[in-house]
Amino acid sequence: MTTFSEEQIERYSRHIILPEVGGIGQRKLLAARVLIVGAGGLGSPAALYLAAAGVGAIGIVDCDAVEISNLQRQVLHATPDLGRRKCASARETIERLNPDVHVTTHDLRLTSHNILDLVAQYDIVMDGSDNFPTRYLVNDACVMTGKPLSHAGILRFEGQVTTIVPGRGPCYRCLYPDPPPPGMVPSCQEAGVLGATAGLMGVIQAAEVLKLILNIGDPLIGRLLLYNALEMTFREVKVRRDPHCPVCGDNPTVTALIDYEEFCGLRGHTSDSEDTTS
Amino acid sequence: MSDKDALVFLRLFGALRDAVGHKEVQLPCAGGTVNEALLCFAEQHGNPVRSFIFDGEGKPRRSMILLLNGDPVGDSQITRVEEGDVVSLLLPLAGG
Repeated sequence: MTTFSEEQIERYSRHIILPEVGGIGQRKLLAARVLIVGAGGLGSPAALYLAAAGVGAIGIVDCDAVEISNLQRQVLHATPDLGRRKCASARETIERLNPDVHVTTHDLRLTSHNILDLVAQYDIVMDGSDNFPTRYLVNDACVMTGKPLSHAGILRFEGQVTTIVPGRGPCYRCLYPDPPPPGMVPSCQEAGVLGATAGLMGVIQAAEVLKLILNIGDPLIGRLLLYNALEMTFREVKVRRDPHCPVCGDNPTVTALIDYEEFCGLRGHTSDSEDTTS
Repeated sequence: MSDKDALVFLRLFGALRDAVGHKEVQLPCAGGTVNEALLCFAEQHGNPVRSFIFDGEGKPRRSMILLLNGDPVGDSQITRVEEGDVVSLLLPLAGG
């Protein structure tokens, strides 16, 4: 087992003194591998807190460049990063925060063809994508590979967050078996989002990922947490695994990844699903 | 209870709340099924609210979560709503 350096003992001292973490838990964090899908509004705060916590390996998937409209909430990136690849900007920010973290960048668009190999390299996945095809793709890939997944979605002043652990609770498809018809649920680009809403949901995702790594507390399995920034309310609703779920049900009918653009009714349309986050 | 004029509450979230302009509406449909409450709501508001909730075959969309007093609704055509019940309609959020 690796021993901590003096600097690491200092850096992680506020974790190590927590009985729920301790030296053993901190070693688990340093050994953990987390894939963050999207270095955007959710992925940014999640990446910062996972990196600060000493998660040893962080993968970042994003195929975009930093735009000025991102900076209102995507706190991994700063004004001098405009025009740079988000992956490069994210890596630099994370490495500056904590050199213990090994960052692997995946400057690509997730597809049914590349996601399984990617997910296989990690212990836990955090979905910070911004479109329904990617959300269903990530869910299905995690269920098929048995990887825990932290899910959150945001719009305007609202957020939804849950934790999906295959075999222990519902998956995203159990919650929402079908995607909404195209155009019915607007994107943040279309309807806006309070930057702090993204921050709050992303940090909750980070806390959930850390709990899963440490195997402590009660994750949001079978619970969907609803947040409203205007009301400043948190509501929690129960969600159940659907035994008829085509992916995680008792007799799954979807056993290989499908065409998610088509599933979401977007085939042939130009849509924001071209991006990983926006 | 089967007083059809007694009120149930429909709590709205996300794009549906924006479309209706209220976070909660009252419906005089206690004693019926969840599905009947949704039909009553769709009648009141017409499109696009109707198309948010029902698919082309008139079935509640499977792209929303239906809750009765905070618990998932199994079958909206069977589950009944009583006076004072709260039905919540959750739509997924794509943004990230």
